Amino acid sequence: METLTHTAAFLLDWHVILAALIGVTWGIMGGALPGISPSITMALLLPFTYTLDPTSAIVLLASTYIGAEYGGSVPAILIRTPGTNAAAATVIDGYEMNRQGKAGLALGISLYSGVIGSLFGLAMLMTLSGPLAQVALAFTPMAYFALGVLGLSVIATLSGENLVKGLIAAILGLIIATIGSDPVTGGTRFTFGSPELLGGIEPVMIMVGLFAMSELLVQAGKRGQDERVTSRPRIQFPDWPLAKRLIPAQLIGNGIGTVEGVMPGAGGTIASFMSYNEARRWSRYPEEFGKGSPEGIAAPETANNTVAETALVPLLSFGIPGSNSTAILLGGFLIHGIVPGPMLFQKSGEVVYGLYAGLFTAAIGQLFIGMAMLPVCIWLVNRPRPYLNAFIFALILSGIYSIHSEAFDLGIMIAAGVLGFFMRMLRFPFLPTVLGLVLGYLVESNLRRSLVLSGDDWMIFVDDRISLGLLILSFLFIGGSIAKRAYGVLRHRSSSTFAENAES
Amino acid sequence: MLTRDFVGGVASIAIGAVYLIFSYQLRTSALDDSMGPGGLPRVYGWLLVGLGAILTTQGIVSRRLAVAGGEKGTGEKGEWDGQGRKLLFAAGLLAIGVGYIFVVETLGYLLSVAVLLLVTALYLGAGNKARVLAVATLGAVFLWVMFVIVLGVRMPSGLLASLGL
Repeated sequence: METLTHTAAFLLDWHVILAALIGVTWGIMGGALPGISPSITMALLLPFTYTLDPTSAIVLLASTYIGAEYGGSVPAILIRTPGTNAAAATVIDGYEMNRQGKAGLALGISLYSGVIGSLFGLAMLMTLSGPLAQVALAFTPMAYFALGVLGLSVIATLSGENLVKGLIAAILGLIIATIGSDPVTGGTRFTFGSPELLGGIEPVMIMVGLFAMSELLVQAGKRGQDERVTSRPRIQFPDWPLAKRLIPAQLIGNGIGTVEGVMPGAGGTIASFMSYNEARRWSRYPEEFGKGSPEGIAAPETANNTVAETALVPLLSFGIPGSNSTAILLGGFLIHGIVPGPMLFQKSGEVVYGLYAGLFTAAIGQLFIGMAMLPVCIWLVNRPRPYLNAFIFALILSGIYSIHSEAFDLGIMIAAGVLGFFMRMLRFPFLPTVLGLVLGYLVESNLRRSLVLSGDDWMIFVDDRISLGLLILSFLFIGGSIAKRAYGVLRHRSSSTFAENAES
Repeated sequence: MLTRDFVGGVASIAIGAVYLIFSYQLRTSALDDSMGPGGLPRVYGWLLVGLGAILTTQGIVSRRLAVAGGEKGTGEKGEWDGQGRKLLFAAGLLAIGVGYIFVVETLGYLLSVAVLLLVTALYLGAGNKARVLAVATLGAVFLWVMFVIVLGVRMPSGLLASLGL
């Protein structure tokens, strides 16, 4: 109740309203462009957030995430090319509906389901994030160190096909985090006499380089005309009988979106496909799936918009970003000196309540902006890539330069872009690098402070109950991920052996 | 032999080794804590070298298994198909970005961002020269208005300083 009262106070704050509406608009445009993921759309905004107050900055970024999830469905439905990974499941039935001349209805279902997903996700976010604030004051340096370890343990699930590559990517992030001043003694490390490196490398430079710049470097080699939207659909919302039919699919999307959002590493793409699958399983019309089923759009779109909100639970509660987009949002917090985690509600409660209000405004605003922006999205999708990419390149360079008015920052960002390009080429995941980068300081400073406090007795991490609990959770997380991988490998082997035997 | 895992592993070992050399050169003082400023960097360096070695081994083993399975030559070729071309195009865009860094403070923001838009669009394959020129001019003015007028950011004026831009 207290949370609702505090949040309501921000609902009429014009800074929050403006940031939410601009964020949704920007997100829808970015999401609609194939190849530009929600995280890249958010990363492009990061430099602008320096000039904003913390609440507006966070609302702007979080609303962009919401808008991008809907925006991704526009090209998915119109040209069978998902604008975002999470919209891939929408392609199946969305494009089929388009072929049947129902593109407007498909877009309407996507938008309306997205709003339902966002509102449900927000309710879950407000319910699940609050309780952590109660234990915030009990956090010691040992507990903070264990929290950092818990954050790093997420890498086990974020590493994709190869755990070793995920760990290497994380260490690269930890290494970048060691540049600058030593967190305990204040001495300089790895600065090579450069005064610009004394304060360390700001995560924003690395994030923009890794996500946005590297994507441009990859796209530089792509030539040829992209598919164009030739129709001019108008958004059409479902009538009551159809809306009633969509409710079970949307509930499935809400449920799966909540679970997948709260679990670090799962994300919107998995939630979308799982929801699609479950909606088909429980549908009264399963035969329509794949042939233009409205539920085939409602379930994944509800799920990925629910994830856009519930993915903030581990970020706000523990400071752990479970996806690329929440990692960028974490960058937004850090720019303003706010550290998400147990103390967030104590130290920056107004930012959290402003964020809730902004997310509510964004969810409602999405309904109207989504309708108004459709012609703009179609226009953008039809623009030749060279112009769009040239503009994005100029925007990145201008945005990074505007932070400190230093060309040195541009060099750092471009270097991160080159690193990201090679990581893409050699198939290393990005998210562990970002995690290492943002958690490096937390882990090192609290580890060393704890050891100073205990006179170098490592048992201090076991004696502290919160620290012990978090460390056990980390080991369970790592153990579970390794066991899951081992099970997957064994299952794959046994099925291959079975297939070989069957063939012979 | 040169699979992505192998190249990634060797690169990790090289980065880890260089980082280790610098981390062992960090000065320690009597006032430092027991771990000191070089403690964790050394751990990170050794971990990177170790993990790089594991990845390199994985790359060699998987390649040998593929060869033993009769995929000689095809896997490696397929894995690197078109990567050289991608690398060249990326290097070109990178050169444009580096060029921008060198000219932005001399030419000024408005002029250099216009040149950046023009050169990048042409490099990425924009065909219509008149349109490219129009997009570069309008795009530069739009970005200048957004950063300098709306957001109040101090961008370098360079050659246009006398015009107050």
